[in-house]
Amino acid sequence: MAMASTDLDAFRREARTWIEANLERRTSRSAAVSAAEARTPEEIAQSRQLQRRLFDAGWAGISYPEDYGGRGLTEAHERVFNEESDQYLTPDFGAVGLVTFGPIGRSMLAHATPEFLQRHIPKMLAGEALWCQFYSEPEAGSDLAGIRTRATRDGDQWVIRGSKIWTTGAPNADYAMCLARTDWQATKHRGLTWFAVPMTAHGVSVRPIVLVDGNAGFCEETIDDVVVSDDDIIGRVNDGWSVAQTMLVYERRAGEGFSVAEPREIAPDLVSLARKANRLNDPIVRQAIARAHINDYAQHHLGKRLFAVLSTASSPNPAIAAYIKLAGGVLVPERVRLAMEIGGPDALAWDDDDSQGSQLAAEYLTGRIASIGGGTNEVQRNGIGERVLGLPREPSFDSRTPFADVVAASRNWNHRVG
Amino acid sequence: MDEAVTDDQRAVLDATSQFISKHCAITHLRRRAHDTEEFRRTYWKQAAELGWFSMLVPEFLGGGSASENGVLDAALIANKLGSALQPGPFVGTNVVAFAVSAAGTDAQKEMLLADLISGEASAAWAVDCRSGGALEAGVWATPTDFGYELRGFKSLVQDTAWATTILVTASSPSGPRQFLLPIDAPGISIQTRRSLDLTRSFAQVAFDRVPARSSHLLTDAVPTADLMDRQLAIACTLTAAQSVGTTAADLDMTVQYAKDRTAFGRPIGSFQAVKHLLVDSSLSLELGKATVIAAAEALGSNDDTALQAASMAKAFVGDTSIDIVQNCTQVFGGIGLTWEHDQHLYVRRVTTDASLYGDAVWHRERLCQLAGV
Repeated sequence: MAMASTDLDAFRREARTWIEANLERRTSRSAAVSAAEARTPEEIAQSRQLQRRLFDAGWAGISYPEDYGGRGLTEAHERVFNEESDQYLTPDFGAVGLVTFGPIGRSMLAHATPEFLQRHIPKMLAGEALWCQFYSEPEAGSDLAGIRTRATRDGDQWVIRGSKIWTTGAPNADYAMCLARTDWQATKHRGLTWFAVPMTAHGVSVRPIVLVDGNAGFCEETIDDVVVSDDDIIGRVNDGWSVAQTMLVYERRAGEGFSVAEPREIAPDLVSLARKANRLNDPIVRQAIARAHINDYAQHHLGKRLFAVLSTASSPNPAIAAYIKLAGGVLVPERVRLAMEIGGPDALAWDDDDSQGSQLAAEYLTGRIASIGGGTNEVQRNGIGERVLGLPREPSFDSRTPFADVVAASRNWNHRVG
Repeated sequence: MDEAVTDDQRAVLDATSQFISKHCAITHLRRRAHDTEEFRRTYWKQAAELGWFSMLVPEFLGGGSASENGVLDAALIANKLGSALQPGPFVGTNVVAFAVSAAGTDAQKEMLLADLISGEASAAWAVDCRSGGALEAGVWATPTDFGYELRGFKSLVQDTAWATTILVTASSPSGPRQFLLPIDAPGISIQTRRSLDLTRSFAQVAFDRVPARSSHLLTDAVPTADLMDRQLAIACTLTAAQSVGTTAADLDMTVQYAKDRTAFGRPIGSFQAVKHLLVDSSLSLELGKATVIAAAEALGSNDDTALQAASMAKAFVGDTSIDIVQNCTQVFGGIGLTWEHDQHLYVRRVTTDASLYGDAVWHRERLCQLAGV
């Protein structure tokens, strides 16, 4: 393993030397990872090999602890490596990679036992174990703590039963980190526990969800009496919500990875669209192009600035990371609409061999993933309103009574409550 | 906007805040303390001691900044000024100090620059707002035997009563020319107009056959497009920085009101309809801060895209700052429409900033042109 260098410049030189000697240059710049875009089994297999190579040379898990196979350096070091390797072929697991090494790995480090970490993290960093989240449910989306999958004690084992949805990358995952209710008599947030579940476990079945653009990136699962043990618990029993809080922080920050480079060229996709539609001289179109580019630029610099504030301010408020998610949730849907306006008739019908037409349609139709997936705009607004601006919460109807009663009462809602 | 600054920048900003709250808080402005010559002279000299006018001038010319990037330092100060609705030609003085140090003649550097930095002098930067950022529009310079003769007028020249010098850009038969003139030069007449903004004043400056000698030209050489572009970019960045300060202060005041005011048995800020409006405003503000800092960093480091960045910041902040203060008025409800409440001062201020030196539409078109589209 290479020597640990903590000085960023020295680290950069060391990284560059290794990268140049060991990685292949990328031929075409691949687009930012779309959450809805799945990788093929061949791509995943290739990335696992690359990940293994990074792991063996000490470049996997740069900011993960050395005890579990990482490098034990800071996230700044990790960013330096990512910058240096930007033009090279690196492991690209798609969304499942972002989830594995971001929210899942980080929340495990914060909450799991050393034995658990010893068992799972080295395999994760070596590319042998990819993870997905069994989190949202058909009846629990924005109200994430309202999940109804149950884990029941059975001797020294647990039996999990329920259904999950909007799982990213499930077909490529080896394990799932699964949230289940372990105490129905506790209040909503108090009776939750996280379990590690092998995707191959008896009783787990996965079904892809076809989205509006015809592609399948997300899955839904049924969990039919899957048996796990105490060793598979992440965090403490009935304390799953604090693990979830950690996870959410990293989930919001995962958004930063989407725009590493500053957008320096004015919205090239929209300029090409306008040129094709012969509308580049139309003042309305020019305004739309400029508006989109300015928003892209503002969004990039927002992420950069908030990251600087989080890492240098004397007492940073971690809740400000939600601005990054909300910015995407507001600006992405606006951008795809601007693209449709610029495209005009060409955005509505196109020839078979016109990939720009079909891509535009797909982006338009899936633009709302940004404002719904991973926490809706409304949930982000509540979070920022309450935890950044310090505004008071709405009255709550589900935080003081046993969750079993909350479910029953919500079915008999009447407007004269309170 | 200043959550992540260096200790030196923090020192300048803290001193600036203290100075403002002691001498020129909104209560002073409402009494129109700044209407007297005496107040203006004292204010400007004390402000100069805080470094307000030295940031864009290199050290070897007597200037000096708080960090390696003087544009960012000036933008951070502008942000503070905006948050307290400060009067005075801060933008004009800094733009002119920049222009003189970048391209002025030795005599101008010697005579004017020291006075600008020390607060003995201040400068108006004369533009014609109706044409956005076409700096030369409105005034014509005709060559004469002794130099030039200037005719025409510039609209929306800020705080001329504070200024001792005016930098005016005129068209001449051989291209744009910039002149540095005493603001009381013969033939210059100033008509202060009633303005939407109550904290600053705006005048139409008329040039009636004003004789200008060659020594009044800003530079010995022909002014380059880049020199004028940079003046505009600095003016836009500082103005956007001020607007960000103004909207941040307004939003703070409004968020506090949403916590204090109760209706239907609860603080109004607990209603999502109000909370989400405030959060959306806050997001726009954060995005605006990010664009202004990015523009200041690009300008200060001579990045290739610096001019684009300045136009982007001006356009983004121009649009969103008006949205934000309008949302604030909505949250205040009736009280925000009264004369005695400060809310209208913020609305007046940012609406003016949004149009000065080119509005959002103009800067979006400029961005396309700068980007070669």
